[in-house]
Parts: sequence; structure tokens; C-alpha cells
Amino acid sequence: MPHLKASFAKYRSDPNVAFLLISIDEDSKRLQRYLDEMKFPFPVARVDGAIAQQLMGFDNTPTTFYVDRDGIVRYQLTGGEAHGDSPNRVPWFIEQLLSQPKSR
Amino acid sequence: MHRWVVLTCAVALAVAGVGAQSTAGEQLSRGQAFWNQRLAKSGIAALEAAANDPATAAEAHEALGRIYTFKGWQEESVFLGWHDEPSVREKALAELRAAVAADPNRASAREALRAAEGFAAAESVDPAPPRPEILALDAKLQEAGSDPKSASDPGVILAAVEARAAAQADPAPHFTGAQLLIDRAFYTQAIALAERGAAVSDRFVDENLSAYQLTGKSQGFFARGRAAAADLVGWALFLQKDYTRAKDKLEEAARLSQDQDVVNQFHLGELARAQNAPGRAREHYLTALSLAGGPAPLRQRATQALSALQAGDPAAAGGFDAWLDAELSRRRDARKAAALTGLVDRPLPKLTLTTVDGRSYDTSGLRGKVLLLNFFASW
Repeated sequence: MPHLKASFAKYRSDPNVAFLLISIDEDSKRLQRYLDEMKFPFPVARVDGAIAQQLMGFDNTPTTFYVDRDGIVRYQLTGGEAHGDSPNRVPWFIEQLLSQPKSR
Repeated sequence: MHRWVVLTCAVALAVAGVGAQSTAGEQLSRGQAFWNQRLAKSGIAALEAAANDPATAAEAHEALGRIYTFKGWQEESVFLGWHDEPSVREKALAELRAAVAADPNRASAREALRAAEGFAAAESVDPAPPRPEILALDAKLQEAGSDPKSASDPGVILAAVEARAAAQADPAPHFTGAQLLIDRAFYTQAIALAERGAAVSDRFVDENLSAYQLTGKSQGFFARGRAAAADLVGWALFLQKDYTRAKDKLEEAARLSQDQDVVNQFHLGELARAQNAPGRAREHYLTALSLAGGPAPLRQRATQALSALQAGDPAAAGGFDAWLDAELSRRRDARKAAALTGLVDRPLPKLTLTTVDGRSYDTSGLRGKVLLLNFFASW
């Protein structure tokens, strides 16, 4: 998650970009403790894990979706970062989507 | 594995013929023995059978309660990929209450119930600490590897593996033992042990499926055990100079790890070089280096091998380091593109979100923006 924090700093005041973390935790206390510890600068919501997995079609965490301004999912990435270049990735995906015009 | 299943059925049939009391007693001790080895599914099944018999009900309910207490509150990262299972917490309390109800004088059940109630009320519960008896057997296995006698007798290492494997059913001792045997050039024994390790790994993940919580995680751990075994077998075959079979096994490990294991890619590079296939060797060394992690000496050997392969190649005329950097980033970009799957190019489904404290979450402010949605779990 540290790379998400670093990337968020870049887009924090951009009105065209929003970050949302969505927890599938069942255990509220554990989640709260984790959030207290991580002090995320972005908003965090919760969702029923089983329903989210079914609707969004992922089977592992973390999974990140990048959605364009028309509400279409354009990129989906699952799992830890084996490639060591995550800090450069998040802005790359966002820039791709910012550079395409909104159609609706 | 099939043989084991058949054997269990035979035992169950034989036991069914004996008096009901001894059946329940046997189920109880079988259940406890399974759980001591951390074979949860078999342990729970045997204990549930024992819980139906009044003679063993208290003890069986207590054992089940202790298993669910562990699973509910103390399981986090006890093994790689394991997570607490909040959904069984109620069951833990219910089993322990049933144990106390079945035998109100059972002090150990009362104590276990008090502990579980304490966990239920606690802000946080620490995971169960490693078991000292297992740590001791792990240390003995390492000692066996450096025992001078193990240089001439593979039995020293094999005996230490057996002792550790009997105490806990995870595949780690098989893989550690196979590596130690490879280091001592006992290739045949290493291959047999690693192959057994694959079956042991499959069973261990299957017995503890619920601990992985997400199917992607349990599938990943099935593949991981099989990949570890295939890579060890392939590497031992390579060292025996059986290149044809080595290639089969090392490539099997590559498929299972989706080309994302540094050590395996390095092994494939070494094999290709030995087979006089410099193009293939170059690809594997580059893939290895484009992945994060792996032991530093191995990365260094891969870099050296590449530098030797590139000597005199016009593609690297601008300098080896610049060529290597360009090759590695090209590979990382290709992997990035290949990782895109699933919902891509489809509309974002409607999700019912809540705030962390359970109120409904207003998503209207997100409309029309480029969104990054990150699904996570704190565990």
C-alpha cells in the first residue's frame, strides 16, 4: 500500500481523479486497528467480500481496478507486486485514462 | 494420496464392527492426532463423530472448540497464506459450551471457554506462537544437513525429515530435506523426497482450505507446493546431467509459477546454457533478473552469465548495463500488459458500500472521475 499513498499525493487535489479503498474484512476490530496503524490519506469503504468477489470477478487481494470517466473498468490488477516497479505503475494507469476524452 | 484414502476407509470399516464405545474413543484419538499434525479437515470430521457419543462428547467438543478458537482468533500467518476465520468464532464458543454442558466438572473445558470468551471481548488477539517441539525438529533437520555423517549417508537427513513430517503435516521438511540432499549430491533420494513433498503439500492445503479464505490464495498455494517440488526435481536431474527430464520438470515448475520464480528461471537458464542454447539461456536469465527477490548470489551469477553470453554481440555495443536495463524494463512492461484481466472493458458493477462504521456510503461524488478502486483485506 505505500505506493498507493505516494501516488495519491500526486492526485489529491485533482478533481478528475478519485481513490477509494474497499475493505472486504469481516472483523471490524481488526480493520479499525489496521486503519489506525496505516493512517490512509484516502477514503475507505467496506463491502461484503463474497458479493464483491462475485460482482467484480476477483479471487484474491489486493485487487485494483482502474475505471475511466464513463464508468468502464479499463484495468484490473491482482496480487502483490513481483516486479518492483509499482510506484511508477499507478500514475501510468491513471494518466492513460485521463488522456482519453469523456464520451458521455 | 489415493492409497491413504483407501486405507482410511478400511480402518473405518474395521472399526465399525467393534463396539460403539471403542469407535468413539478411536475417533477421538484419531481426531486429536490429525489436528496435532494440523490436518484440520480430517481432525474435525473425526472429532465430530466422537462428539456424538456421550462417552467422548465432552472431550471431543472441547477439542473442536480449541480448533475453532485457533481458527477464529489465532491463525493469522501461522502458516504462509493463513488468516483468521471470524466466521467460526461463534462455533468455538458453542463447542466449548457444549463440552462444559456434557461434563460440568471438566476443568480444561471451562478454562478453554474462559480463554475463548476473553478473545471474543478482546480488542486484538495475537496469533498462536510457533510450537517449540516443531522448531526443535526443524533445527534437528538443519543439524542433520551439516552432520559429517550425512556426507556419506542420506539416511541421516531422511530420518530427520521423517521425524519432522510426522509431527506436522506441512511440506516444508520435504523441500528443505530435498535441498540438503541435493547439496550432498544424493540426487535420487532428493528427487523421491521432493516428489513426496508435492503430494504432502496438496493434502496440507486441502485439509486447511478455509484458512486461505480466498480461492485465489488456496489455488496459489497448491501451485506453489507443486512448483517447489518440480523445480527441486528438475534441478537434481540437471545436476545428474539428465537434461531431457530436467527440462520437463523445470518447465513444469515455470508453468506452475507462471514464470515468476527467480530461482526456477535461473535454473532454466543454467540448463539452456548446458544444452548450448544461448538464446533460450539469455531469455531465462533476463526473466529471472526482471523479477524482484531471489538470493543475491544467484542474481549475481545470472548477471555474469548474461554478460558472458552478450560478449561480442552487436546488440550490446552501447554497453552491457544499458542493454540490460532496456531488456529488463521491456519485460516488466510486457508483464504489466499481460496482467490485465477480468472486468476489463465492462461497466463497473453497482456495489453496496458502507462506511467503516457501518453507515451507507455515498458514491455520488465519484461519478465522472477516473477511479482507482483497491479491494483489500487487513489480513
